[in-house]
Amino acid sequence: MSLWLHELRLFLRQPVALPTLLLMLLLSGASVWAGLSEVARQRETIARIQPQQAEDEAALAAWVPERGDAGDAAYYSFHPTWDAPSTLAFAALGQRDIAPYILRIRALALEGQIHESENYNAELALPGRFDWAFVLAYLAPLFLILLLHDIFSGEREAGRHQFLTVMARSSRRMWARRVLLRGGLLSAMLLLPFAVGALLSGSGLPALAVAGVAALYLIVWTLICVGVARAGRRSLANAASLAALWLFLTLVAPGLALLAINGAIPVRQGVELTLAQREAVHAGWDKPKAATMDAFFRYHPEWRNTPPVEGGFHWKWYHAFQHLGDRSVADQAAAYRDGLKARDLWTRRIGYVLPAVGAQVAIHRLAQTDLEAQQAYEDRIRAYYDRLRRFYYPYIFDDRPFTAEDFQRAPRWQEAPPA
Amino acid sequence: MSLVLLIARNEGRLMRRNRVAQLAVLMLLLLSVVATLTSVAHRDASDALRARFQAQADSAFDGQPARHPHRMVHYGHFVFRPLPALAAFDPGVDPFTGSTIFLEGHRQNSANFGDVRQSSLLARFGSLTPAFVLQVLAPLVLIFVGFGAVAREREQGTLRVLKAHGTTTGALVAGKLLALGTIAALMLLPALLSLAWLVAVEGAALAAAFALGFGYAGYLLLWTVGIVAVSSAVRSARTALMALLSLWAFAIVLVPRVAPDVALAMVPSPTRLETDIAVHRDLRRIGDSHDPDDPHFNAFKADVLRRYGVDTVELLPVNYRGLLAMEGERLTSGLFDAYARAQFKGEREQGNIVAAFGLLSPTIALRSLSMALAGTDLEAHRSFLQQAEAYRYAIVQQLNQLQAEAVTYADDGSRNSDPEAGRRVRIDPRHWHDIPDFAYRGPSLHERLMAAGLSAAVLLVWALLVGLALRAAMRRLGRAF
Repeated sequence: MSLWLHELRLFLRQPVALPTLLLMLLLSGASVWAGLSEVARQRETIARIQPQQAEDEAALAAWVPERGDAGDAAYYSFHPTWDAPSTLAFAALGQRDIAPYILRIRALALEGQIHESENYNAELALPGRFDWAFVLAYLAPLFLILLLHDIFSGEREAGRHQFLTVMARSSRRMWARRVLLRGGLLSAMLLLPFAVGALLSGSGLPALAVAGVAALYLIVWTLICVGVARAGRRSLANAASLAALWLFLTLVAPGLALLAINGAIPVRQGVELTLAQREAVHAGWDKPKAATMDAFFRYHPEWRNTPPVEGGFHWKWYHAFQHLGDRSVADQAAAYRDGLKARDLWTRRIGYVLPAVGAQVAIHRLAQTDLEAQQAYEDRIRAYYDRLRRFYYPYIFDDRPFTAEDFQRAPRWQEAPPA
Repeated sequence: MSLVLLIARNEGRLMRRNRVAQLAVLMLLLLSVVATLTSVAHRDASDALRARFQAQADSAFDGQPARHPHRMVHYGHFVFRPLPALAAFDPGVDPFTGSTIFLEGHRQNSANFGDVRQSSLLARFGSLTPAFVLQVLAPLVLIFVGFGAVAREREQGTLRVLKAHGTTTGALVAGKLLALGTIAALMLLPALLSLAWLVAVEGAALAAAFALGFGYAGYLLLWTVGIVAVSSAVRSARTALMALLSLWAFAIVLVPRVAPDVALAMVPSPTRLETDIAVHRDLRRIGDSHDPDDPHFNAFKADVLRRYGVDTVELLPVNYRGLLAMEGERLTSGLFDAYARAQFKGEREQGNIVAAFGLLSPTIALRSLSMALAGTDLEAHRSFLQQAEAYRYAIVQQLNQLQAEAVTYADDGSRNSDPEAGRRVRIDPRHWHDIPDFAYRGPSLHERLMAAGLSAAVLLVWALLVGLALRAAMRRLGRAF
């Protein structure tokens, strides 16, 4: 124990030690604070929309029943959906700043609605967020390099190396102690604010997993630093080599990987499917009504025996071709989704090779702010949309009047059960 | 002068011997070339794709069959934002904003399908473009090459020898600046070549490309002078490296990420859903055309009847439903405009807060300068949104006008019950051809240069600061001689 204390005293006596540790603590703390406030802002926004939404609905419920037309109710009712941030989202905000976490949908064709984007300031999103995952992946290795690059060469350059190796009972243990002390103190500075954040947001076990990923990442970088430091060159050369390695591993290689992935897996189907869907929906106005209804009954035979559509317009015919519009691009929608998934999969694979990418991928998965979480939200929207459609169909197909009470019966968005 | 050259040549020889520095410069040059080639290819492909989609959307619109004009209002239109030629150098916010908007009646939609939302997490690490290489990586390579320029001489005691040979502080520093500046120029070369190519082949504006080259040259010069200043001011090469790496991490990695958080905390952005709800609420306040007792629309009706000198809407020479649609669209669009203006105002305030952080990091100033000159900044995107909205309003009103003039009130009222009337309200599809295509006007050269003005001023402040720092460092160095 006294040996450790002795090493600690020696370490802290270095002019670079304390400022480095304090700066790490400060940056980590600031990122946790920024993440917590962003998550709080998102929750607040979700809470804030509820009364506004209720007011909007009440206004609609005041005029629709005068005519009692379920078609109007379905056409004008916007139903809110939202995706509350997980308790760990503060540590890794992911793409929650650019992908919508609130979306209103109505019972018309879904494909024209589900790709809608949120209003956000692109200039603010451009540099990427300052969250804890960023401090871990980018900044912590730089601090490790600062503390570890001269661990051997510094002593050699001061002329103490020989002496130290001879004096220590086990030189191997002594060096291990030094490395552990420096790496451990830095990790503590990084993890302490995270632990406080995790406690404040009550994130429980997954937080331990995040801490584990972080520890693993820091160990990898410690090993890289020690490896380069042991090559036995001068401190300056070590620092420069390590910084170059950092640059390559965290900025250059991921950039090249992105180029390669986006080049290899094109996903322009997003636009194509929207264009195709519009054509399919609007062509519905000009097709013979019987053909449209027959096609629709293949998916919904339960309405086959309702009275046929006669005359100009009927809501059931309108909803039939809205649904057929979605069906006609279902393959394209699936291909689009698969394209995004394939890009994500390759990113994970890159993560096995590039530690910064691996750590980011793992932490964003645990924080449920990655593509998988986005697609899970999309899936829940699709399921909810189906419930909405099926809620309105009986009124529309059976010509049942839609009353003020019926507005209360519409399916409500359910938050996802905590994972 | 020959002394300065001598020192520069000597420094150059040392740099060539430094393997890490050599490797770094080589890596950077290679990256520059890769970034330039892929970036140009990506821009060309995206732009061609957008042009193709635009042509497809235009011909689909023109090719619609005979329809009721209001059907076309809902069929709507797609517009795509073309990419300016210099986007191959700096794509700016384009990957974030999305490039297509669906335009329809009664609604203002957002731009969709930005590259970033379709990319994996990797996109947030920063994508390799010529602008990124020069903004982020080049300064770091310069640091590796130049941190020891003066500090090493000081550390090894060679300063005294130089002094004995009659070298002045000024000549020494000038020689080091010249040597490091040459490396900076070398790193700038691929970018300058790509700019020249964009001007010659892709028709980019010469003045904008020239200003871009000038801006980046100034930025690298800032770092060159800053590196020599720090190297002159500190005692050891090691301290110089640590100080410079910290400066780099602070100015290039940290501040640009923290600034947006501060801006967002100070000026929160409303969500799209809230804006939608607010628009609907305001609309209800203005009036409901379905309500027979609505004061606004009753006044509108009375006004129309008076203007045409008739007693009932049935006697009007035009279709009253068309007029009603025009009035409704006028009201909703007025609201959209008001909310869009409020949003733009908020975004500009956020942008100003970030710009103020330019005083902590020249990279922020250079980034806005670069995007403004390339025509890929948020202002250019806002201009696209405004033009798209103006176009949406124009075509919707043109279609509503058709409803008023080419469809009779009686047919319009009975189109759902009387098949003959339903046939008559479908007007000739040649009308769709008369609707003009969308023509996007990008920011003019003058606008781009004006937009870059403020950032240029911030960079000049930086030039002053770095110059002063160099002078102070030279004084210290003079005492150490």
